[in-house]
Amino acid sequence: MSNVATPAFGAPDFDAVVVGAGPAGSAAALELARAGRRVCLVERGPYPGAKNMYGGVVYGRILDTLLPNWWEEAPVQRWVTRRQTMILTETAATTLDVRNEAWGRPPYNGATAYRPDFDAWLAQKAVDAGAVLVCSTTVTGLLREDGRPDGKVVGVRTDRPDGDLTAKVVVACDGVNSFLAKEAGLYPTVDPANYTVGVKETIALPRDVIDERFGVRGDHGVDIEILGCTGDVPGGGFVYTNLDTVAVGLVLSLPELSRGDQRPEQLLARLKAHPAVAPLVEGGDVKEYSAHVIPEAGFDMMPELVGDGILVAGDAAAMCLAAGIWLEGVNFAIGAGAAAGRTAARAVQRDDTSAAGLAGYRARLESSFVLADHRRLRDAPHLVMGELAQQKMPRVVNGVVEELFTVTNPDPKPRLRTILRRQMKRHGVKWRDAVKDGLRAARTFG
Amino acid sequence: MLVAACVKWADLRPEVDPVHGTVRSTGRSDGFSEADRAAVEVALGLAEGWGARVAVVCAGPPAAEAGLRELQAVGVDRAVRVDLAPDQPSEAVAASLAPVLSALLAADVVVCGDYSADRGSGSVPAYLAHLLGAEQALGLVGVAAHGDDGVAGVRRLDGGRREDVVAGAPAVVSVEGSVATLRRASLAATLGAGAAAVEVVPGRPDPRAEAPRTEPWRPRARHVAPPEGDDALDRVVQLTGAFVERTPPRTVELEPAEAAQAVLDQLRAWGYLEPPGRPD
Ligand SMILES: Cc1cc2nc3c(=O)[nH]c(=O)nc-3n(C[C@H](O)[C@H](O)[C@H](O)COP(=O)(O)OP(=O)(O)OC[C@H]3O[C@@H](n4cnc5c(N)ncnc54)[C@H](O)[C@@H]3O)c2cc1C
Repeated sequence: MSNVATPAFGAPDFDAVVVGAGPAGSAAALELARAGRRVCLVERGPYPGAKNMYGGVVYGRILDTLLPNWWEEAPVQRWVTRRQTMILTETAATTLDVRNEAWGRPPYNGATAYRPDFDAWLAQKAVDAGAVLVCSTTVTGLLREDGRPDGKVVGVRTDRPDGDLTAKVVVACDGVNSFLAKEAGLYPTVDPANYTVGVKETIALPRDVIDERFGVRGDHGVDIEILGCTGDVPGGGFVYTNLDTVAVGLVLSLPELSRGDQRPEQLLARLKAHPAVAPLVEGGDVKEYSAHVIPEAGFDMMPELVGDGILVAGDAAAMCLAAGIWLEGVNFAIGAGAAAGRTAARAVQRDDTSAAGLAGYRARLESSFVLADHRRLRDAPHLVMGELAQQKMPRVVNGVVEELFTVTNPDPKPRLRTILRRQMKRHGVKWRDAVKDGLRAARTFG
Repeated sequence: MLVAACVKWADLRPEVDPVHGTVRSTGRSDGFSEADRAAVEVALGLAEGWGARVAVVCAGPPAAEAGLRELQAVGVDRAVRVDLAPDQPSEAVAASLAPVLSALLAADVVVCGDYSADRGSGSVPAYLAHLLGAEQALGLVGVAAHGDDGVAGVRRLDGGRREDVVAGAPAVVSVEGSVATLRRASLAATLGAGAAAVEVVPGRPDPRAEAPRTEPWRPRARHVAPPEGDDALDRVVQLTGAFVERTPPRTVELEPAEAAQAVLDQLRAWGYLEPPGRPD
């Protein structure tokens, strides 16, 4: 990709070009169009969502202000009324199971949805508001004022013939590994240790079988987050229910995966064969296998969010929250995209789309959940991916639970304190390390 | 002069149940097949050489209009959608397309894909040629302009041989998907295509059209007389034909018309076709 010269005169084609019709891009385009700006939403896939994958749960609260009563029309598979956190060793599982029927009624909490459905629906909202959507078109570079490498961003180059598109502001929502943010010089360094790769199988099962296996009825569904299921590779797992499919997947540390001799599909096969997971998925037909990179390190890997004529939102700005019990990216992308759209619309109105004119974006994000949550939870990804949480804690937890519930008559029941001490010693957990990580966790999550 | 391309809106990647063979369309992968896209490119190329205009005609549902607008972005001058219910037999599709091609567009050369992506038989071009009284060159693997209004093509034959064919206007040709890759639309044309007009004309559904097929295609059942004999073993031997001398395969070299007759006779002999005089 190169910086390309642009004509020094002539009105730009659009007020704003938004790159990527994922959740961030569609939210940005929606806000720009609603503010009456001429906005073009460019997507490389044949339709929005065609290229996108994720685990499966959208947390819709952020949509309340953007699209009131969104739940009446959003393409939802199931409303999540049951959340489990599972801690596994090779043969054992300890599960925290939360069920809340209120999450199955308006205004709901989380919902499983297929990305091709959800992304296409959200992009259509932007189109209905007046945005111009162009699909099957890949942005290949930034246009700079007067062709200077450090000139203000004044548009994008696409892979179509005569494919330059000029605009007063570019909103980069091109997802993880954002070429545009990198080309704009907003990412100082890129460290593979900050990334994980997610792999997922979508397994078809009859609807009533899913209801029965997961203990739900009607359009209610289940979200299971799993720790201790990735062998030597730091990461985690998930199982989500759709209407007639189950998504089962893993999130795996990228450098560890490339270093070791374990392949993601082997690890996934192992998870599917685990005694706590096999009864949920066995007998189904694998309909789809997909993989995608995740910006795991959150706040600590975020780029500069604003440049001269450019804003970055969503995964392009590493805004996915991957904090163990939470894997939320879609809501963060929508929140950031909407903030970018509003900032860009105002900057266009004031005719100042320089970095200074766009600076309000960061302030908007700081005052919303997007940066507030990321700042507070900045240590969470490191804690969750650390050795204690990944290797030792699952063994200690399952060991303690096993001893607690194994009846040892005629011996008397051991004290919990004794069991804990014994298990920690067996699995090489030092009190000092446990207390240190415990305090870190209390500071982060407390 | 006008070159027309006929394209079919079909699900390019439907879901097929591996056990029951039922085909389910999600609607997400609807589009024009590679063969149809090649047909449009061939039409554009021929028209460029002749200084002709290009029209594209699709017998299909309203959803096809988005696809037709994309074709307008690559340089098609006129797009017509013939409003026709899905799953019509080839005769009905051709009967709906023919008046549009002859009366509305006055097409000199018609280019089609050699088969559609949704289990079509590829017979629409032949029906079209018949209804338009046009010369035909079907299943081409190479196409070029021949003179001012003719088409020279290369056809695949058995045994890796090729046949050169020439069809003069009015002509209907069909091409394989490998013949050409449809050019990409410029960004400006893509942006402008959203507002492009697609003409809609009513189709002529075939009143005799069968109800849409819901089960996978299978050859017709063959009538087999019940075995005779009192002994079960005799009947099994008869049914399996274990001791019956088989008709050895035979190779015949015949003129096309005689060859076609021989194939029909054989199919009748095997019970796949009704004897002459009774409806198939
Ligand atoms: C395995 C896995 C599980 C996950 N589970 C969840 C979950 O359960 N819940 C949740 O909320 N989040 C989850 N996430 C995270 C979530 O998917 C992302 O955070 C979210 O999709 C980010 O949205 P986005 O719009 O920023 O980027 P994306 O969704 O990646 O969209 C980017 C868009 O830009 C387009 N694009 C890219 N480059 C170009 C280009 N050059 N030109 C034109 N278009 C371009 C792409 O085609 C795409 O449509 C998961 C992620 C993974 C990988």
